[in-house]
Amino acid sequence: MNLTVNGVAREVESPPLTPLLHVLREELGITGPKAGCLQGGCGACTVLVDGEPRRACLLPLAYAEGAEITTVEGLGTPERLAPIQQAFIHHYAAQCGFCTSGMLLAAQAYLARGGSDDPEEIQEALAGHVCRCTGYAKIIDAVAAAARGDSFDLTTTAVGKYTTVTTGGRA
Amino acid sequence: MKVVGARIPRYDGVAHVTGRTTYVDDVRVPGTLWAKALRSPHHHAGIVRLDTRPAEEMKGVHAVITHKDVPLNVYGHLEALGIPADEPLLAEDDVRYKGQPIALVAAEDEELAAEAVERIEIEFEERPALLDVRKAFDPDAPRIHQWGNWYPHFEGGMDRRQIRKGDIDWAFAHADVIVQGVYRPAAVEHCPLETQVCQVVPEPNGRLTIYSCTQALYFSMGVVAAHLQVPLNRLKFVGGTTGGGFGGKVDTATETMTALLALKSGRPVKWRWTREEEFLCSSTRAPWHMEIADAVTKDGWILGRKMLTLHDAGAYARFSPYGVTKHSFHHTGAYTIPNLHFDGYVVFTNRVPTTAMRGYGVTSVSFAVETHMSRVAAVLGIDPFELRLKNANRIGDTSPNGVVYTDPSTVPTIQAIAEAIGHELPAAYRTMTNEPRSGEWLPEHLVAQLGTPEEH
Repeated sequence: MNLTVNGVAREVESPPLTPLLHVLREELGITGPKAGCLQGGCGACTVLVDGEPRRACLLPLAYAEGAEITTVEGLGTPERLAPIQQAFIHHYAAQCGFCTSGMLLAAQAYLARGGSDDPEEIQEALAGHVCRCTGYAKIIDAVAAAARGDSFDLTTTAVGKYTTVTTGGRA
Repeated sequence: MKVVGARIPRYDGVAHVTGRTTYVDDVRVPGTLWAKALRSPHHHAGIVRLDTRPAEEMKGVHAVITHKDVPLNVYGHLEALGIPADEPLLAEDDVRYKGQPIALVAAEDEELAAEAVERIEIEFEERPALLDVRKAFDPDAPRIHQWGNWYPHFEGGMDRRQIRKGDIDWAFAHADVIVQGVYRPAAVEHCPLETQVCQVVPEPNGRLTIYSCTQALYFSMGVVAAHLQVPLNRLKFVGGTTGGGFGGKVDTATETMTALLALKSGRPVKWRWTREEEFLCSSTRAPWHMEIADAVTKDGWILGRKMLTLHDAGAYARFSPYGVTKHSFHHTGAYTIPNLHFDGYVVFTNRVPTTAMRGYGVTSVSFAVETHMSRVAAVLGIDPFELRLKNANRIGDTSPNGVVYTDPSTVPTIQAIAEAIGHELPAAYRTMTNEPRSGEWLPEHLVAQLGTPEEH
C-alpha cells in the first residue's frame, strides 16, 4: 500500500485492515498520534487524511491508500512552527501534552476551512477531543487567536510586562 | 521575584506541539515483548485451581509469571513509615477486587499475549462482596480482609485516626441547635489520556532500565526493588514525562510485574493497559462516608463538631492511612471550631484500591464541610457568607491538630467571592481582616484555643 505521510511517499506492508494509527506508530515510527483509548472516543490519535480530521485508531489502512496524511510532525518544526502551534505555546494550551497533537490537527482543519474565533464554533470543531488536564478554555483561546491571525511572542518577558490576551473565550 | 508576574514559556511547550515529547509508549526498543494480565473477573473469590501451562506451551510466549515468581510478593506502599503490608503483587489464594492481577504473560505481540491469557486455566469459588463503605463498617458484615474490615494499625495500635480537642460535651450542652448531615462523594476515575504503561529493558550488565509514566519515580523505584529484593543500583528508572496522572500514577501499577517478565524472558517487555483496564482496574479517588454533627448557637457560632469518617480504601490499604490523616487535619475546613471529636476509619471493601487524587483526603472533607456550612446557615437563617466569615480562621487560631495559623486566607477569599458575585456584606464583615481575633470576633469560647504564631 502507498501513502503520503507529511509530504513523503511511503510504501507500507501492514495488512489492509490494520488501523492507520498502528501503521503510523509501529511500522513507520511516527509517534505524534497517541493511543489514548483505541475506541474512537478521545481524539488523541487524530490525523488529517486529505485535510480532514480522522480517528487513526479506527481507520483501516485500506481506506487511507493513496491519501495525503498529516500528523503533528507535519504541521511545523521547532524552528518553523505553524501559527496554531505558536498559539498553543503562547496560550499555554498544552499541559501534559497527550491530547495536544489530536487537538492541533482538529484545530488546523478548522482553520483551513475558514473557521472564526467564535468560541462556540471552536467547541463544535473540537467536540470529541478529551483533555483530562481540563485546559479547554486555554485551548479554545489558542484556536481563536490563530483564527484571528494574532501574532505570538514566544520569548520570556520581564516582570510586569506580560499582558493577558483576552479573547472573550469562555470555559 | 523574577518569575511571578513574568511570562515564562513552558519548557516542554515546543516539544508538546511538535509531537517530539517522548512518552513511555513512544520509546522504541527492538525485540520488545508485550505483556497482558489475567485478572480476577470476580469482586471477591477464592482461587481453587490455577494452571498456567497451556499458556507457557504456546509458541511465541516467552514468560508467564504468578505469585510464585515474586521474591517478595506482599509489600506495602507505606512500609517505610512502619505501616505493615497487606497487598500481594499477584494474587495467591484469593482475589479481593474485580480486575486484581493473578498472572501475567509476555509474548511476541499484544494479540498473542491476550490469547495466551485466555488459555490459562483457573477456577474460582465466589464469596460475598462488600461494595459500600458504610455497609462494610457494619459489625455483622462478612469479614473480607485479614485485618478485619477496617485498618487497625494507626499509632499506638488504634483502629482509627482520632482527634480530640477542647471539651466536646460542653459544646453540645451549650448549643442552641445541633445540625447534622451525611456526605457521600463517590469514586472518581483519574482517566489520564495516557493509560498505565511501562517498558522494561534488561541490560547486559544485569541492570534493568525501566521507562515509567509514574508520578513518583523514586517511590516506584523503592517498590520495585522491594518486590524484586534487589538493591536500588540494579534499577535505572527513566521518567518525568507523564501523559496525565492526577494522583493515579502514584501507585506502582505496572513496573514491578513488567520487570519480572523481563527478567524471566531475558527480553525487553512493554505493558500498556487498555482503556477498559484503566477504567476497571486502576485505582480511583475513594468513595467516602462522612457524618457531621455541629453544636451551634442561634447567632452563628460553631461551638463544637463531632465527625465520623469512613474512607473506602478498596481491597487493600495502600496510601489510605495517610489520606485519612490528612483528612482529619482538615475536618474543620477553613474555619475555627474549638471543641472537636473526630474518628476516621480506613474501611476495606471489594472495590479497586483507592489512592491519591488532587488534594488527597482533603477534597472529600472540603466538600462535606462547605456543604455543611451552607446547611448550618440555612437552618439558622443566617447569610452563608456571614456564617463563614464569623467562624473563619484568623491569625492565632489553632487547627484541629494544634497548628497555629500564621497566614490564613479565609477572610480575604470569602470577601473576594462575595464581591465577585455582587453579594452585599454588612460593614462589619466587609472590613474584617485575618488579624488576630478581638472584640466581637473573640467570644469567650474561642479564647482557650488561641496560640501564639511567633512561637511556631
